[in-house]
Amino acid sequence: MTPLAPPPNHRELLIGMAQVALSSFGGGLSAWSQRIVVEQRRWLSDEEFLTGLTVARLFPGPNQINMAVYIGAHFKGLSGAMAALCGILLIPFSLLMLLGLIYFQVHQIPAVDRVLAGVVAAAAGMALSMGFKILGSYWRDPVALGLAAATFVALAVAQVRLIPLVLVAGPVAMAWYWPRPGAKAREAPP
Amino acid sequence: MAACMPLSLGDWSQLLEVIGTFLSLSLFSLGGGNTLLSEYHHLSVEQYCWLTSAQFADLYALAEAAPGPSSMIVGLLGMGAAWREGPFWGLFSAYAAELAVLLPSTLLMVMACLSWNRLRDSPWRLAFERGMGPITLGILFAVGVKILQTSNHGLPAYAVSMAVCVLMLRTRLSPLWFMAVAGMLGGFGVINR
Repeated sequence: MTPLAPPPNHRELLIGMAQVALSSFGGGLSAWSQRIVVEQRRWLSDEEFLTGLTVARLFPGPNQINMAVYIGAHFKGLSGAMAALCGILLIPFSLLMLLGLIYFQVHQIPAVDRVLAGVVAAAAGMALSMGFKILGSYWRDPVALGLAAATFVALAVAQVRLIPLVLVAGPVAMAWYWPRPGAKAREAPP
Repeated sequence: MAACMPLSLGDWSQLLEVIGTFLSLSLFSLGGGNTLLSEYHHLSVEQYCWLTSAQFADLYALAEAAPGPSSMIVGLLGMGAAWREGPFWGLFSAYAAELAVLLPSTLLMVMACLSWNRLRDSPWRLAFERGMGPITLGILFAVGVKILQTSNHGLPAYAVSMAVCVLMLRTRLSPLWFMAVAGMLGGFGVINR
């Protein structure tokens, strides 16, 4: 096992996260993050990285951005988090802004609109696949499926807005899944 | 559908209202941010008429195709909101929107990182983790259906969406390939909207 490198300063956090963002052009952000932060720069051990990933997924916010914030905060607190946030966002966000500026200039050209109609249909397919991707982990829990179905109906059919829905359904779901002393209780609900 | 009231960015109370909405949505982005897409559509198309539904779909596709987290779509929505005032205000508004949606979740994340040792085994954490999973699942399906309805008109478009959905689940190909092929089909006039 190789020893960890000395903790990074703000500048190194910014550059390191920018490197993660650049390497992951084309996908696989979390894999690149691990490769650079754990293997290449040796800031975190494998366990520390996995803890960070758990926290990043648990709390609200985009996972990859949360992971960068976690790494920054782990070493330098709030200011470190800000440095890491700038690092991970700077290049991709600038690029997206450039694309946006181009889009708003050209989107009314008929040929552009035709191509976009196709791209949009593909992107809609990606959006649809998100739910199916995590469906498997709930397949054997009828209560979870019921909660998911109720959430879906409330949003898609009854047009309830997200914030009130989460404020009502969240506590109900948390009460049901509250850890009970007899661990069997959750595995086989009465 | 709610009556659409165009937002004038010169009106400070409205501007603050919009920023406040993004700030509060930030803390409700479960499961990595895509859960907010229906809310973004509601805000930018139905409530404030910054964009047409077709433009929203375009911007979603743009954010998915571009490198980096697709939740950066908020920046594009901000740009659309102020585009009438010119590209400079478009950019300014884009940064303001992105900042508003990232700031609260970032601050929460910093607190989580610094107090994780106490949170780790707390029953609140376990209940939150297990309880929010199924809700996230329901939201993601609702978002998928919403984006589908927003994007597609006509059978060929739906057929492409279904094919991409299956390919996303069954293969490990980069989605950029699907977008490129579908873009070509669109260019040849196969997919209309």
